[in-house]
Amino acid sequence: MIKRALITGITGQDGSYLAELLLDKGYEVFGFVRRAATPSTERIDHILDRLTLITGEMTDQTSLIDAVTQSQPDEVYNLAAQSFVADSWIAPISTGDVDGLGVTRILEAIRRVKPEARFYQAATSEMYGKVHEIPQTETTPFHPRSPYGVAKVYGYFITLNYRESYGMHASNGILFNHESPRRGLEFVTRKITNQVARIKLGQATELRLGNLDAKRDWGFAGDYVEGMWRILQADEPDDYVLATGETHEVREFCEIAFARVGLDYRDYVVVDPKFVRPAEVELLLGSPAKAKEKLGWEPKVGFRGLVEMMVDADVERPTRQSGGRGAL
Amino acid sequence: MTKRALITGVAGQDGTYLSELLLGKGYEVWGVVGPQPGDFSKWAEQFEGRLHVLDADMTDTDSLFAAVDVSRPDEVYNFAAQSSVGDSFGSAIVTTEVNAVGVLRILEVLRQLAPHAHFFQASSAEMFGNGAEMPQRETTPLHPISPYAASKTYAFHIVGSYRDSYGMHASNGILFNHESPRRGLQFVTRKITDGASRIKLGLATELRLGNLDAKRDWGFAGDYVEAMWLMLQQSTPDDYVIASGEVHTVRDFCDVAFSRLDLDYREYVTVDPRFFRPMDVNVLFGDPIKAKTRIGWTPKVTFRELVEMMVDADLRRLQQPPNASDES
Repeated sequence: MIKRALITGITGQDGSYLAELLLDKGYEVFGFVRRAATPSTERIDHILDRLTLITGEMTDQTSLIDAVTQSQPDEVYNLAAQSFVADSWIAPISTGDVDGLGVTRILEAIRRVKPEARFYQAATSEMYGKVHEIPQTETTPFHPRSPYGVAKVYGYFITLNYRESYGMHASNGILFNHESPRRGLEFVTRKITNQVARIKLGQATELRLGNLDAKRDWGFAGDYVEGMWRILQADEPDDYVLATGETHEVREFCEIAFARVGLDYRDYVVVDPKFVRPAEVELLLGSPAKAKEKLGWEPKVGFRGLVEMMVDADVERPTRQSGGRGAL
Repeated sequence: MTKRALITGVAGQDGTYLSELLLGKGYEVWGVVGPQPGDFSKWAEQFEGRLHVLDADMTDTDSLFAAVDVSRPDEVYNFAAQSSVGDSFGSAIVTTEVNAVGVLRILEVLRQLAPHAHFFQASSAEMFGNGAEMPQRETTPLHPISPYAASKTYAFHIVGSYRDSYGMHASNGILFNHESPRRGLQFVTRKITDGASRIKLGLATELRLGNLDAKRDWGFAGDYVEAMWLMLQQSTPDDYVIASGEVHTVRDFCDVAFSRLDLDYREYVTVDPRFFRPMDVNVLFGDPIKAKTRIGWTPKVTFRELVEMMVDADLRRLQQPPNASDES
């Protein structure tokens, strides 16, 4: 029997990789997308004819109930979010409404319409914030500092709550940073690789960044969506950290990215305090040991491979956008 | 200069005790009433114009803006909440709208309009859930297991985020159960003292309860509002556990309550599984040592005194003719 999956946030980086993965596995894939005058489907344009898109809003309960009713999913992946940490200080309420309360809305929709569906919640390493231990595991206490992290902690606990209270197969993937050529330009990795390409091609002369010493645990998004799928194939619902288990500085990312096009980052990178966050998180480093042991999951693409993949894609990209306002 | 305080949820148990405390200290008080103010306006008349009643809604940012604009507070106490853990399973979304996003709304309004106001958030021991260390302290990891607790966890974290991100004087009181003759009848303590009094007066023959072995750390609300006030007088904002430091079972509570009326609870109390929660918190037991050492707070009313105070009040209320004014 053909399995059916509903993906919220299907137009995003993770949604598009996950949709490809599930289509390859023979799933019928439904995507929950926002109404928009100009739909931003560039990441899924190549598979659009194989997807069924359902229009709705994470802030509108009726549209979520309708989406679950229409798709009758075996698996639901909740990837929809205001996912940019810095913006969560600018728009904290809508971030809370979508990233926090939106999770409750979709869980309620599933509980009412198709309670046996398996549910995946995209939790995040930002929940650790002011970190209590290094590396972070599934048992590390949360201490979120950004409105984004706070909303995601709520989403995590409400998922756990529906699992424990109603016996739903609801799981959290606590994902550390995961990047790809499809990462939005507001994220520091893509901001770097996009600007490296522009500098290389003579379209720009400098790259302005925030804290170069900030360290992150960066993996490849394509590997991480495979982890999400594995989480929902497990007999029992549970929570898993998906991470590479290694950290690198923003500086190192710059170094490899510029070196890929034969340049020295020190000649182009300028530190701009404007991009430093109001409350910076400390060392985010995840331990993927549980995912490895219980799910047999391991990231395949290494740090260097990831950075070079992103630089190459940006150099080859026919249309290159200027800007990118992101810090981390 | 006269200090000005704004209290949300002013018509509730804590709101009325705190109003009395602050008015006694010479404050001018603005109280925000929710959709069910009862006869609060009438109660407020006794303070001869020093307790102003405002209408505002925690889900409506504009109304909160107006409330802060008119009151220009030095201190803000946020009590407004959907406060029933049991109801939160059936109304998870509205619980979160009020208890979680509502706190964010008022913080955002204060940040823009009254950034120097001191802010108190009524956080809840329910955030600790099951499996937390015993007793629970400010450093105990949070593990909420109801939509109510998840919403309160969101609020707790967002208060910390605003404190760290913007330097606001925002503090959480992690309040363990606190009761009084003004406690709502839907809460187990008041249900017991009301039920026992009815039995004593021949108005009822039995009292149906859930899990008699559930343990709680119960204190007197009048003592707890004093701790809240003390927290906002400190030079630096911080989070404090406010608890009695003792636990008693529901059974103990019944025993003291019925004994006060010369009755034996075992002859009247029946266990009804309908009152079991989907996930019950086993033991909430707080350690108030930080509040004691840092802000000099200790509870004054003992467990026995509290139960007897509540029974006496209910008996008196039920003996009055129907038209006489309510104790609360």
